[in-house]
Amino acid sequence: MELGLYLHFPYCISKCPYCDFNSYQLKEDNQISPYISALYQEITAYSQKLKKSDIKTIYLGGGTPTILSGVQIYNILEFCKDKFTIDKNAEITIEANPRTLDGEKIKLLIESGINRLSLGAQSFDDLFLKKLGRLHNTQDIIDSYFLARKIGFSNINIDIMFALPGQTTEDFQATLKKAVSLKPDHLSLYNLTIKPGTEYYEKYKRNTLKLPSEDEEFDMYHRAINFLKKNNFEHYEIANFARPHKRSLHNQIYWQNQPYLGIGAGAYSFIRGYRYMNFKDPEKYIKEVINDKLPIEHGEKLSLRKRMIETIILGLRTKDGVSYKKYKTRFRINLNDIFSKQINKLVNLGLLKKDDCKIKLTNKGIFLANIVFREFVD
Amino acid sequence: MLEDYHCNIENIRNFSIIAHIDHGKSTIADRLLEFTGTISEREKKDQILDDMDLEREKGITIKSKAVRLYYHSKDGKEYILNLIDTPGHVDFSYEVSRSLAACEGALLIVDASQGVQAQTIANINLALKSNLKIIPIINKIDLATANPDRVAKELQNISEIKDEEIILASAKEGIGTSDILEAIVNKIPSPKGSLNLPLRALIFDSVYNSYKGTIVYVRVVDGVITPGMIIQTMSNNIKYEVMEIGIFRPKMQPIKKLTAGEVGYIIAGFKNIKDTHVGDTIIDASNPSRESLPGYKKVTPLVFCSIYPIDNKEYENLKTALDKLKLNDSSLFSEAETSEALGFGFRCGFLGLLHMEIIQERLEREYDINLIATTPSVMYQVTKKNGEILKISNPVSFPPKNEIEKIEEPYVKVNIITPSKCIGGIMDLVQERRGSFKNMEYIDEEILRLDYHLPLNEIIIDFYDKLKSISSGYASLDYELIEYQSSELAKVDILVNHQLVDALSFIIHKDKAYTRARKIVEKLKGIIPRQMYEVPLQATIEGKIIARETIKALKKDVTAKCYGGDITRKRKLLEKQKAGKKRMKKIGKVEIPQEAFLGILKID
Repeated sequence: MELGLYLHFPYCISKCPYCDFNSYQLKEDNQISPYISALYQEITAYSQKLKKSDIKTIYLGGGTPTILSGVQIYNILEFCKDKFTIDKNAEITIEANPRTLDGEKIKLLIESGINRLSLGAQSFDDLFLKKLGRLHNTQDIIDSYFLARKIGFSNINIDIMFALPGQTTEDFQATLKKAVSLKPDHLSLYNLTIKPGTEYYEKYKRNTLKLPSEDEEFDMYHRAINFLKKNNFEHYEIANFARPHKRSLHNQIYWQNQPYLGIGAGAYSFIRGYRYMNFKDPEKYIKEVINDKLPIEHGEKLSLRKRMIETIILGLRTKDGVSYKKYKTRFRINLNDIFSKQINKLVNLGLLKKDDCKIKLTNKGIFLANIVFREFVD
Repeated sequence: MLEDYHCNIENIRNFSIIAHIDHGKSTIADRLLEFTGTISEREKKDQILDDMDLEREKGITIKSKAVRLYYHSKDGKEYILNLIDTPGHVDFSYEVSRSLAACEGALLIVDASQGVQAQTIANINLALKSNLKIIPIINKIDLATANPDRVAKELQNISEIKDEEIILASAKEGIGTSDILEAIVNKIPSPKGSLNLPLRALIFDSVYNSYKGTIVYVRVVDGVITPGMIIQTMSNNIKYEVMEIGIFRPKMQPIKKLTAGEVGYIIAGFKNIKDTHVGDTIIDASNPSRESLPGYKKVTPLVFCSIYPIDNKEYENLKTALDKLKLNDSSLFSEAETSEALGFGFRCGFLGLLHMEIIQERLEREYDINLIATTPSVMYQVTKKNGEILKISNPVSFPPKNEIEKIEEPYVKVNIITPSKCIGGIMDLVQERRGSFKNMEYIDEEILRLDYHLPLNEIIIDFYDKLKSISSGYASLDYELIEYQSSELAKVDILVNHQLVDALSFIIHKDKAYTRARKIVEKLKGIIPRQMYEVPLQATIEGKIIARETIKALKKDVTAKCYGGDITRKRKLLEKQKAGKKRMKKIGKVEIPQEAFLGILKID
């Protein structure tokens, strides 16, 4: 079985006010090593079960994985190589915040086998960086980026957010231009979403967060897509843009609804049709692992129908859409035999395109993807 | 055996408790029941006489009941006390008056801090009309805000009540219960009827029970009633054999006979609650009395609205539910109708706004049917140019303007009791609702009583809420129908995406049509979600557009990121949204949330 491997690192130097990820401000440095021990133990627990699996990609996400020392990261990956069968050309990505990188660490990352860097830049405007609670400024992003390039990263992604409070389309255009001027291999553009449990949510409820209107959001996104296409980026997923041959292989596993194993607090796994989540709270997670249990908080065996629907929703997020052939191979049934009613309706609405080998979102459909997805769910 | 205990008519007392909402009627009843051992502490729920959840929640009693108490008085004699409960709201004033007609006295409860309210006065008037002896009780004297002296003065100012008659009580603390019972025995006269005259019994309520059929509540005025007797209802001359008679203790308890002066129930194979009219007289078929008891009148609904199931598949359930409710509520009217916008539903008539709310809530809660209820309306009288006169409660049925000679609408006499400092706000409100001032009276230095005449259609939509907000909750309201008057009325239609939504049409005075139409289209703009294309909203009179708004097309609805476990959460969210959309009504291509039909009722 081919598999993607995700490793979660839940700690950050500080928690950003918009963030609803499973991340926590690091209180003391000595919090990290018990967590790493737990990761080792969880990896070991899976190594027997998944010995024959072929790991195609590894993704170190967070939180802030680079809050760890270079040596810690190196050791974790060595441990993985020892316990799993990892493809020798595997894509190995690490997320990093600009301020958490220096030359020494970058060298160690490369020595660990990491070949893709994802920089959490979020904006190239110091004013917005500050509002977002980020600890870096524009110069820090630029410095980290070029340092990583110089030392040897040949595949770098930059994360950018838009529709920030008070942001105009022009503001966002300016950020995007600066990002592109660095010539990254990949860009992820995320529309800010206000999530319950965040500081932004509280402000939003009190009406003190001035967010761009839906029309402005549309403009920002629309213009960004055109601008990036002009700059030779392929818009290959709703929020993701890549230079030729620089798509994220790991994320494509998600969008193709292929199996992956998640290690660490709150990490999701999808193996043999079973989707489950580890304990979110790092302390609980550690406790479970220490007690020799798989640290699973909850999960469900997805019915065939649900897997079929999720495969469509995920596939439609991508430029490649949902291929009839792959669908048939996977589910032994024709996509159009089951969903022709929905497909035809959406084609008539101009949201979906249908050709001889696949369905995919139209340009209009990309902006109204939720309408399309809602049609397919039960 | 107590169950068959009958005493002399001189030792019977029949009484009601009358009060403004929340002044403590049910708690007083509880104390009387406990004190007389009718119910033990352990058996009681909070409020014994209210047996529907909804009543408990709203603090009002919908259906009246009668409970028999046995009381050993300080004079050493045993008394039968029949407590006849009455509905606490103006909507049910006919039922109140029928219940009062079964009594010789009434306990008038007034809250020691709130004082006299509109309902207090309405109740006193009803009691006096029925020649009842009133026992005034100031309740809740334990409250920190209680001011019994002030309330006592108010009572004396509005009625003939004397200071020394007033009993101070706290039902919560059990203060005054024994004084109340003694007053019932000593002040309220015993019933006047005779055992030897032919049977006459007043029906003051009826309920439908699926096991026992229709149960009628009666006050025997003359004669005796026993099982096996053939009885007859005077208004329609239908004959029945009495199967069971009994009393409430407070549970139903069969007994061998009911005699003059007593109160109890009869089960007699009444097929339909409609045949057992409240206010009707029951007589002995073999020895019929010729003289009916005073006061049976047919109650007519005042407020109307259409009720539709959100899911058309629930039509049959709605039909069944309405039929069941009607079994127990002869004042509820309903007939099937069809709306282009909403499909199959019912046009319903109610005694008043509260009655309407209660029915809607019961349909939703007890029968679990999701409803759309249209804007309430009144019954208009339309005279056509050809002389034909139509009674129309549904805007949809209005004839075209060129066929109409005149339209008349019902007016009500409104009685408002308010702190005097709120008078400015109330005057503005009444003026804005086309009311005319009739009278003003001081109840004391700070409390005023105001009389107005208003079109009923101006008070059925949020008038009460406005009154409450103007007076910080202190003002109270009571109204009764007086007459029909000719008015300059117009029918406003609402078009969504150029398609008429019949369920949103409404009748309004011409001077107010424009403002209200504006507000409604604005409100709808906020409620109807953006669609994939622009949706115009228009309000028209006779095809002429008087207000317009546009819902802009939805341009963006896409989730930013989707990795790892996001998909399952995302799928579940989409499923939930889809379920929400299914509950919307589709008008043409546009999906309209239920809220749109409800939301326009509450427009500032």
